[in-house]
Amino acid sequence: MKKLTRRDFIKAAGAAGSLTVFGVGYAGTLKGISKGWWAGVKPHNKIAGNAPQPEFRVDPQSGEVTPNPDQYLANTVCVGCTTLCGVRVRVDKKSGKVLRVSGNPYHILSADPFLPYQTSIKEGYKLLSGYQDSGLKHRSTACGRGNAVLDKLYDPYRVLTPLKRIGPRGSGKWQPISFEQLVKETVEGGDLFGEGHVDGLRAIRDVKTLIDPNAPELGPKSNQLVFIAGFKEGRLTFAKRFSVLSFGSINFTGHRGNCGLSMRAGYAALLDDWKGYPHLKPDFRNTEFLLTIGTAPGNAGNPFKRSGKMVAEGRSDGNLTYVVVDPVLTNSDSIAAGSRSRWVPVKPGTDGALAMGMIRWILENKRYNEHFLSQPNGKVAQVAGEPSWSNATHLVIVDEKRPDFGKFLRGSQLGQAKAGAKDTFVVIDKASGQPVAHSKATGPAELFYDGSVEIDGQLVAVKSSLQLLLEEARKHTLEAYSQACEIPVATIVELADEFTSHGRKAVADCHGGTMHSSGFYTAYAAVMLNALVGNLNWKGGTSSGGGRYADVKPGPRYNMVKFPGKVKPKGARVSRRGFPYEKTTEFKKKKEAGQNPYPAEEPWYPFSFAIQPEYMNGALNGYPYPVKAMIFWNTNPLYGQAGLYEAGKKALSDPKRVPLIIAIDPFINETSAFADYIVPDTVLYETWGATGPWAGYLTKVNSVRWPAVDPPLAKTPDGDPICMESYFIAVAKKMGLGGFGDKAIPDKDGTWYPLNHPEDWHLRVVANIAFDKSPVPDASDEEMALTGVERIQDKIKAVLKPEEQRKVAYVLARGGRFENEDKSYQGEWLTHRYGKPMQIYNEKLGTSKNSMNGKRFVGVPTWAPARFADETPLVEVYKPADWPFLMVSTKSQLTSAPVIGTPKLEALHPYNFVVLHEEDAKRLNIKGGDKVRVTSPAASVEGIASVRLGIHRGVVGIEHGYGHWGLGARRESIGNKVWHASSIRGKGVASNLLGLSDPSRQGISTLGGFVVGNNARQAIPVKVEKA
Amino acid sequence: MNSDRREFLKFAVGGAALSAVGAAVLPGDSVAEAAPAKSQHRWGMVIDLRKCIGCEACSVACSMENDVPLGEFRTIVSTYEIDTGGQARRATLPRLCNHCENPPCVEVCPTQATYKRDDGIVVIDNTICIGCGYCVQACPYDARFINPETHTADKCNFCVQRVDEGLLPACVETCVGGARIFGDLNDPDSEVSRLLQEYPTEVLKPEMGTDPRVYYIGLSDYLQAKVDGMPVPWSKEEILEGMTDGSAN
Repeated sequence: MKKLTRRDFIKAAGAAGSLTVFGVGYAGTLKGISKGWWAGVKPHNKIAGNAPQPEFRVDPQSGEVTPNPDQYLANTVCVGCTTLCGVRVRVDKKSGKVLRVSGNPYHILSADPFLPYQTSIKEGYKLLSGYQDSGLKHRSTACGRGNAVLDKLYDPYRVLTPLKRIGPRGSGKWQPISFEQLVKETVEGGDLFGEGHVDGLRAIRDVKTLIDPNAPELGPKSNQLVFIAGFKEGRLTFAKRFSVLSFGSINFTGHRGNCGLSMRAGYAALLDDWKGYPHLKPDFRNTEFLLTIGTAPGNAGNPFKRSGKMVAEGRSDGNLTYVVVDPVLTNSDSIAAGSRSRWVPVKPGTDGALAMGMIRWILENKRYNEHFLSQPNGKVAQVAGEPSWSNATHLVIVDEKRPDFGKFLRGSQLGQAKAGAKDTFVVIDKASGQPVAHSKATGPAELFYDGSVEIDGQLVAVKSSLQLLLEEARKHTLEAYSQACEIPVATIVELADEFTSHGRKAVADCHGGTMHSSGFYTAYAAVMLNALVGNLNWKGGTSSGGGRYADVKPGPRYNMVKFPGKVKPKGARVSRRGFPYEKTTEFKKKKEAGQNPYPAEEPWYPFSFAIQPEYMNGALNGYPYPVKAMIFWNTNPLYGQAGLYEAGKKALSDPKRVPLIIAIDPFINETSAFADYIVPDTVLYETWGATGPWAGYLTKVNSVRWPAVDPPLAKTPDGDPICMESYFIAVAKKMGLGGFGDKAIPDKDGTWYPLNHPEDWHLRVVANIAFDKSPVPDASDEEMALTGVERIQDKIKAVLKPEEQRKVAYVLARGGRFENEDKSYQGEWLTHRYGKPMQIYNEKLGTSKNSMNGKRFVGVPTWAPARFADETPLVEVYKPADWPFLMVSTKSQLTSAPVIGTPKLEALHPYNFVVLHEEDAKRLNIKGGDKVRVTSPAASVEGIASVRLGIHRGVVGIEHGYGHWGLGARRESIGNKVWHASSIRGKGVASNLLGLSDPSRQGISTLGGFVVGNNARQAIPVKVEKA
Repeated sequence: MNSDRREFLKFAVGGAALSAVGAAVLPGDSVAEAAPAKSQHRWGMVIDLRKCIGCEACSVACSMENDVPLGEFRTIVSTYEIDTGGQARRATLPRLCNHCENPPCVEVCPTQATYKRDDGIVVIDNTICIGCGYCVQACPYDARFINPETHTADKCNFCVQRVDEGLLPACVETCVGGARIFGDLNDPDSEVSRLLQEYPTEVLKPEMGTDPRVYYIGLSDYLQAKVDGMPVPWSKEEILEGMTDGSAN
């Protein structure tokens, strides 16, 4: 190991004529000299070496395109990270191998500008070329990871046949089994492992009998199957069809609770949608000032590439100035951008104090957008020229003795509206000074109101939403906020001043940096800044996305959500999300027995969503009910959920806790290592899928994947690759579940079509996309040949109606369907606008209680230092004197956790570091390159120190994605073969091993956000020492 | 741009080497064997550092396109942290062959395997190269290496096989921030010519008299002096060993 010290570096950097070749060394040259060229392999071409022939030729004079007949260029979607960019996969026809991957020129996440949808494939080739420099403008890119990740197709550690464990759970001993055995055993159960009887899926699936007749709210026994997935990569709806709609389990989740749930919840509170959990992104191209808190555009975030492109363009050719608030300096910054880019270091977990300080200054200095905030309803707002509105002026009942404390005053309470669904809110009309139903107000309403109204002859204290926010912000002085977040008061003021100096073209955003125990309020405070300037739906402001054409919907061709035997799942989730504790039998019984019903045995999360960590904790604790089977699909909570490995590995190894674990995964990761059965799956460009960008787009986008290359997988007896879809089809048919088999999908006329193969589903989804609104044109033979769609022509013909076939091919050839860029704006407004009002006060939040202490949540953003589930401050238990550092994980531009085992990325960035500030390192006598030990109250890890200035003092920064002990880093025995561990795959440090348990909880736990239960993977108290 | 001489580079954040073997390759024929006689083109690159986000898409795309062996890269983006008087900043520097007007590598080549084409692209004929390594030592930009498979000198050739077919180099096609701009310096209307006219640009090590055809927008002195190679905290041997000690399937 070459140690990196400053002395080394300066020396090397200053040495003239250094022989270091791009940091790699000179040894190769000497070897070459000693052997001579004749000892080497002769490449194919004397100048171009082994580079394959280009995919097409473009005449520099005429622009005429001549495609290479030996290759095709498939437009599909990358799954290398959650951004899901459209990519163009270049395939060698003879070998079927992928040669290279670049961007899909029609796709907004890869090209800017992206090609108009009607552009022919061949014309697109010309525009991508050097002809008249057009390729510089139209270039469509893949990131470093997107360029490299194709190696995962050929990963030697890939699972190609079903596996069954033959040793104790987690022992790494597997037996390849047939598809028939896999389906039979997982459906029928039995004494599968010589450890006693295990219930199969058939026995678990009982949608009538209650789990506990004394606690009917828990729902039927079918809920004892828990399905845990990764993210909406394009097939999640298929998995949901099986587990939720056919099998009938309510327990179905993605990875959000470990990813960005705090951010999503902050936006959900602001945007008043606890079901869809929408979120906002800047209209980057026209934004003038961008403040990002806990996310670093261009370095990570979603959409990674588009954010990077927009930041690069905005800070050079455009008008963008941006400030990244982050404990660690990243490549979001560039010194070449001068003052257009700024980094503000912050103490981890305290960004909420910064945001609340800014809110206080903005409100007290009247720098908010009064015109926007004082609109009482959407209609009046529109007339006044506002494309969005807020509830800033709506009155909230603040009399703590009243049962409706915390609720909005309703028009019906004043006799101004009818009670029920059409009830209204109430504002103080500015002109008359009188309370009026918000829907009846015709002009601006009072922003700050602190008074009373008469209800049924009684005076009741009320305050406007914005008044409540002002009071909450005033709970601490700017100095106190500054002290908490370690950002100078002057900087807080400067940021607030700058943020309110760009009209609607200032945006605040946040993301994974808020994944700590007070992340929800941090995020709500950060995104509240957008409401104060009224930027929603404005050009240069914020957008909730451009939407998409109908896919898995009752679409124009097929109804993808209707089938005989469809189940509406019922009951409480094992994660306890979306269910108030006060409605449980546990609560009622305690209350009846005269006990204080608080705390609950484990926390309940009344308005949370997709909390993967609590599905894990709940399943391992058997609370609120025991779980009989878990299916993991392409997800890895044992690596991704901070604190889970240490807290849960023992319980997960015990088959009595969760008797059946099935992992559908192409690889044996840290989670599938605990499976009883592993079902292989298709990878990347082998897969089908219909998805869309997650954020950061203004026009309709449907991204579509189709098998651009053949998977090397074993096949089912029906001839399909063994993968998620074919496994669920076989299981559902064996169990006789609805939604699969011969009568599964109705068309518009009610004629039924089968779902026996993956394409039966996916091609019909694409048919909906192709025909929604006005149908797309027909694909030509040439386009199908150039893009390789002709390879799946037989499937298209077998599944679709004649009039659908070429339109579906048109969508497949372009990797999706995309609305043209000129539909982005209507004047200064966005075309696709978010309709609901921004919530300055959120009633659901303000009327819900923390199940662990019975305290109400504050209904507006507030400054909430780190705390356990029962709101005991973290610093009371883990004192800063003992745990002087806070650990944060940072994102890599190259590595995401699942792409370990990609040689080109390993070559560029083989492992991560323990990053420390220069002053901290000096105090601890640690130098760059030293081996150091980082210890949290839960665990210890060792890594190599990197000493920098670009990190806040008192912070340990660890890049996420390294330090694996699965995915090839562990020895596996498979039948009579052994997979020896690859040491490079295990290099570096896994930050999540340091994650905490929650001592205020009884069972197995990982520390989570006290409001929505997001995994606390940031701001972990640690100490550091030389190892 | 602040370029206080006392500022120094704190350390290098990333950068190293190697590649996957095994991408399928078509047999080569006449592609790129020689430039058209009397080319009217003079190819060059402008790198706008304000637009570089340091993502290394270029490094990987080049490696994939040219099937560069595991352990080497023809282009790389060095990332630095810079102390600007207490405030740390990031800087990135994409590096590749500079396709010099006066290439020192050509002068020292004993077999004339390396030469500058009429369109300015400096190439290596691997059937003539004897792998002596003189050019590797002569290059002031550390842009060359001995290919461990062919045992001949290797480096960026602007993806000559693509440029000759009217396409762009792989690194340019995939540059996420749009920092790499490639084109014809002889064409006054080209994007590269326009940028050279519109912006002050610099080249690396102008004092060497090599007259590079790779120009940088936003390059400051502190990077200028630091291109001699970059120590990385991991060694090539360590990586290669780590990649080969496991085995599966």
